[in-house]
Amino acid sequence: MIEHWRLLQHDGAEAARGLAVDEALMSGYGRGSTSMPAPSLRLYTYATHCALVGRYQNVEAEVDLAACERTGTQVGRRPTGGGAIIMGESQLGVAFVSRAPAERPKDLIKTYAKGIVRGLAELGIEATFRGKNDLEVGGRKIAGLGLYLDEHGALLFHSSILADLDIEFMLEVLRIPAAKLGDKAIDAVSDRVTTVTRETGVSYSATELRSVIAVGFEKEFGVSLFSVDLTDTETKRADVLERTRYSDPGWVFQRSPSPDRQGTAAFKTPEGFVRVHIALENGVIKSVLFTGDFNELPEALVRAESALRWVRLDPERVSAIVETALGGDEVLQISSEKIVQAVLEAGERASTRDLAHPDRQGSCYFPEVG
Amino acid sequence: MSDRVVGGYTIDVDLLYDGERHVWLLILGEGRARVGMDPLGVETMGDVVQMYLQEPGVALNRGAAFGTIEAAKFVGPLTMPVSGTILTNNQAVASDPGLLTRDPFGEGWLIEIEPSDPAEFDLLVRGEEQVVEWFESKVRDYGAKGMLAE
Repeated sequence: MIEHWRLLQHDGAEAARGLAVDEALMSGYGRGSTSMPAPSLRLYTYATHCALVGRYQNVEAEVDLAACERTGTQVGRRPTGGGAIIMGESQLGVAFVSRAPAERPKDLIKTYAKGIVRGLAELGIEATFRGKNDLEVGGRKIAGLGLYLDEHGALLFHSSILADLDIEFMLEVLRIPAAKLGDKAIDAVSDRVTTVTRETGVSYSATELRSVIAVGFEKEFGVSLFSVDLTDTETKRADVLERTRYSDPGWVFQRSPSPDRQGTAAFKTPEGFVRVHIALENGVIKSVLFTGDFNELPEALVRAESALRWVRLDPERVSAIVETALGGDEVLQISSEKIVQAVLEAGERASTRDLAHPDRQGSCYFPEVG
Repeated sequence: MSDRVVGGYTIDVDLLYDGERHVWLLILGEGRARVGMDPLGVETMGDVVQMYLQEPGVALNRGAAFGTIEAAKFVGPLTMPVSGTILTNNQAVASDPGLLTRDPFGEGWLIEIEPSDPAEFDLLVRGEEQVVEWFESKVRDYGAKGMLAE
């Protein structure tokens, strides 16, 4: 017999409400629940626009609050980790909620991401899992992924799929130091991020994408989705969470116990200088960015950027990961050792650097340049 | 402290373990116990980048979250192996979660608590033979599922 999963569809959610509903859905799947509902898939959009930071980020570091005020952008904090994102009518939010299976978190992320991959395939887009928590197409990120497990054993899988993206707006609102990159900022983001609209050549809104992703989940997991509304219990729970957590400035503006540190290092190649920028958090690489005078960012460096994220700054691990990412290629006519050396040097500088700019962290797509 | 290598991991077989959550408990005496995470639990989470531990004075039931961690975009709870009140938290590990990996039974401890119901100790895995057997089975199980280091 085919299994049925709940499908919830919402549009234009306010930042706090959107997040509160996701967490409210979890309450039915804890170990204490007497009658557990079928797993829930929520496909929704936020009000245009919302800037959502990751669980442990500092808001002031991630978003330009003055720009948010100017543009009417709401600010919220997710329960899931990762970097800041922009949500609105062009980004589809995905929340999958169920009892957490006894599996490694990174495997759970991969499992549920397959529903999205299958959905995008319906449009002819070949997305693949990259690093630990991104979906990419041709080396460019098309969706971010995250996971939250609560103490009761419930699971929330989160994703933001880019139907489209106004990069200029993102650069205005998220605290990406465009001044330092000048006119290269948009190109640099374009090199690393793509959208359904870009990949298909057809303009897609998130609501148009929703049915495609729903089909992807049905096909991937062999289930049938049936549309439901929130139950009264879930609505009441969302009301409480919205009021006491997601709208609470104490939650939204909480300070991270340990902010990121940034460092850079440069190396010379026959094609010019390349600079590596690293954001380090508690000894773990949160983001890596290579910039330089090249006409086109070498694909191998994009692979290295992705593979190095969320890895402890350990010389052996960094070396092995860079070697694998380069796949034996000689990038920019220099050896991989030179790249490894620069990554370690930038990391070392980040780890020993005083927190001169303790609030700057960089976004989900793009680390600070400094 | 009695260390033994089990399934390639060095563990302290004198401690009490929450068999599902990989949290250990060291009874320090005088109504005080120390809580930490075992190396298998640490490994399956991946590199931890942020950790938040509840403040002293908070009373929690067994299974409730005394903190949260972030590892590779996964955010999850650290849960109480037994009910009790938090007496102190380890700020060193909160500011350097790498201690969890480097010294899970030593400097990587997480909180100290005053247990409220010593009867709950019986719910934990204890005794050298049982601890070794339990840990070996978990290593086998996780290995078979591909959950250990690649």
